Amino acid sequence: MSDYLLEMHDITKDFNGVKAIDGIHLQVRRGECVGLCGENGAGKSTLMKVLSAVYPYGTWSGEILWEGKELKARNIRETEEAGIVIIHQELMMVPHLTVAENIFLGTEPRTSAGFIDYDRMNAEAERLMARLKMSDINVAVPVYNYSGGKQQLVEIAKALNKNAKLLILDEPTSALTTAETRTLLNLVKEFKANGMACVYISHKLDEVAEIADTVTVIRDGTHIGTLPMAELDTNKIITMMVGREMKNLFPREAHTIGDVVFEAKDISCWDVTNRERKVVDSVSFEIRKGEILGLAGLVGAGRTELACKLFGCWRGDHEGKVFLEGKQINVREPRDAVKLGICMVPEDRKRHGIIPLMGVGYNITMSVLRRYTSGGFIQSEAELAEIQNQIIRMKVKTAEPLLPIASLSGGNQQKAVVAKMLLPEPKVLILDEPTRGIDVGAKYEIYKLIFELAKQGVAVLMISSEMPEVLGISDRVLVMGEGKLRGNFVNEGLTQEKVLAAAIGQSITEAA
Amino acid sequence: MTLTKKDVRKFLSEYKIVALLIVIAIIWGFFGYLTYDSDLGGSQFLTPRNFSNLLRQMAITGMLASAMVFVIVAGEIDLSVGSLLGLLGGIAAVLDVTYAWPLWATVALVIVMGVFFGLMVGWLTAYLGIPSFIVTLGGQLAFRGMVLGLTGGITIAPVHQDLKFIGQGYLPELLGNAGGVLLFLVLVFLAFRTRVNRQKHNLVVPTMPAEVGRLLFAGVIILGFVLTLNEYQGVPVPVLVLLIILGVFTVIGNKTTFGRHIYAVGSNMEATRLSGVNVAYVKMMVFALMGLMCAFAGLTTTARLAAGTPSAGFGNELDAIASCFIGGTSMRGGVGSVSGALVGAVIMASLDNGMSMLGIDTFWQQITKGIILVAAVYMDIVSSGNQRN
Repeated sequence: MSDYLLEMHDITKDFNGVKAIDGIHLQVRRGECVGLCGENGAGKSTLMKVLSAVYPYGTWSGEILWEGKELKARNIRETEEAGIVIIHQELMMVPHLTVAENIFLGTEPRTSAGFIDYDRMNAEAERLMARLKMSDINVAVPVYNYSGGKQQLVEIAKALNKNAKLLILDEPTSALTTAETRTLLNLVKEFKANGMACVYISHKLDEVAEIADTVTVIRDGTHIGTLPMAELDTNKIITMMVGREMKNLFPREAHTIGDVVFEAKDISCWDVTNRERKVVDSVSFEIRKGEILGLAGLVGAGRTELACKLFGCWRGDHEGKVFLEGKQINVREPRDAVKLGICMVPEDRKRHGIIPLMGVGYNITMSVLRRYTSGGFIQSEAELAEIQNQIIRMKVKTAEPLLPIASLSGGNQQKAVVAKMLLPEPKVLILDEPTRGIDVGAKYEIYKLIFELAKQGVAVLMISSEMPEVLGISDRVLVMGEGKLRGNFVNEGLTQEKVLAAAIGQSITEAA
Repeated sequence: MTLTKKDVRKFLSEYKIVALLIVIAIIWGFFGYLTYDSDLGGSQFLTPRNFSNLLRQMAITGMLASAMVFVIVAGEIDLSVGSLLGLLGGIAAVLDVTYAWPLWATVALVIVMGVFFGLMVGWLTAYLGIPSFIVTLGGQLAFRGMVLGLTGGITIAPVHQDLKFIGQGYLPELLGNAGGVLLFLVLVFLAFRTRVNRQKHNLVVPTMPAEVGRLLFAGVIILGFVLTLNEYQGVPVPVLVLLIILGVFTVIGNKTTFGRHIYAVGSNMEATRLSGVNVAYVKMMVFALMGLMCAFAGLTTTARLAAGTPSAGFGNELDAIASCFIGGTSMRGGVGSVSGALVGAVIMASLDNGMSMLGIDTFWQQITKGIILVAAVYMDIVSSGNQRN
């Protein structure tokens, strides 16, 4: 009777009495794409874990109807058999297996003797990749040879191979280049035309606006609303997500720019495994006191590598001179950098930012623990007081200051990591994708903080792949492409097109 | 059904130590029952004398386990401690018997050598990047080879009386009692100071009755411990040393930057490095601490046997590692406590002692200990399963 492929009614899931989601509804028709929006910690992931039976039937309350019948799945295998496939934000690839082996992991075609039928597997994989218009991928090559974007498509091929009827994409484009994002969005549209349904979870609301037919917004675990996209625009979605009008996404504040504080000369870095390949090629730049310097570029342009080299954590070969306040410095390890007053908030929060099993507070004080010791002993009085200060200052939402940081939402984890790198009172702060994967509210807080730091005279180098962010925050914008510095623009009348053109290498550097 | 299961899990994960103490009580009750002999007037296992023996047996494993916890928490492993213990014990015996060095000089040199070998293992692992499994597997062979070379494969005896005291001596009754009282007062003082401090910073504190109950429980255990040992000959010196180590190491783990860094390195080494911590140094010093404990354990072993033997400490590394895991240390690093490891060591020693007393064959003893180890870690996985989601 119903034309819905999936109906989730009144879904409630609690953890030890704390409701993560409370009475959420989600309906998806065949051939429809539903955008699922909400701030980090709003309960999107929990809802998807309920749907895919990561939380098995019985551990939550409510009702899931799949093709009109109640779904009582106890594990992911059962939901996948039904045709519900999730593609997670973090890629689930086995890097040393080939593309084809990854696609068929767990469902390998066998020969009559019981061995893997590689001919069939590779042919089938090629057919799938052709369907995704990625025929240039060699399916017999280990998957680590391909970029994050291509791997994402391999992940989708894997889903297609499982005969997915409903594809759930969780922040699929957070690590993709503009071109790769384009390919992905076009693919989703094509799937829709072929009758596949899709749930699209993303903080990038323009993408949601482009492909979603219906948008469901949840906030703090409760259902805020479900509306057809035709009645919405990105601003309305933001308002629904945060519960307040966000007039200005970038809270610009006046700050004075002083003398040159940090200078990098002819920095080059070589790849860790492929030692012949230059990933950063003779990059020179300077940054002034109180200046916010944006570093734009496409994924793989060498920006993170450059930041790593400056912070002393690049593992490959490298060369170049670095000056801090006019004096040449030698940074061999991150601890040298921190001591000198150069701090970095890394790109990969999970791997490089947080110490998961430790409390939020202990994560924050990790960079300057010695400050709270006397005679080698930690003065818990002083440490806890500082932790309290930082939690209030950064508006970290945590039930208890010493709760393990891994149990917090991404935005709050990021705030704690930023707090950790601010405690050493840096003169130069490098932020590598500081707002990746965090919600609008937390983004706003971080932008405000960046301006506050600039006012205090900190030189901020912000790497970002989100063009509006770079243009909305920076005083000056550097653009990198293929390891080289391709642009150095004062951010006045600068357009996304101009930056992008420089990143791709269409126009030649124009000195500031 | 699910509710009760959840409750058990919650209990096990929150009161891990209590759960382990219950396990000890069960084991002791079991052996106490089996060794009951009405002719001899009661259970042979549950006597002050046997209690004293049991603790002296576990002291050596306990010393190794105390430092092994930090090694495992830091995400490493040390397979060489048994052999290093043998080597250091052998050196002590040679210095004492062959060269008749004074005790202080023997002890000092053995400690220096222990730290030196520990630093070497740590340097190879942390600075040269050789996996600790490999370095210490090599160490296990090399150190054992050195013992054989040093002793010429024969037992070196007899050691002097003063060295023997380290392994076989007892504390006078009065000193034992005073120590017990002092320990209790320190615990009470610390508990209330921590409580006040935590309350001040919005941290959860146990309810007052729970806190008092916990302290009373600790008091009863300390009282029972001291009185029982005094009933025999007093608190054995190695047990006293172990208790001091427990106190010092617990403070290192919870109250020093070094300790904090050990847990951080084990939980996420890269993030710790990027926070400006010298992770290589932290790892090297953890191995140095392990070397120091090998020296303590080596001296105690030689003193206890009153001789240096080429096979001393054989297989002790496995007992120490097993004690850590039984006591709730995580294989993946980042989680573990010294007190847990020592409770683990008591469990291992109780099994050894009880089964020997019953005259059970050594092969059965080994099989049983193996099963207990695997079962204990499984319990740990079950109890932490709740938290992982």
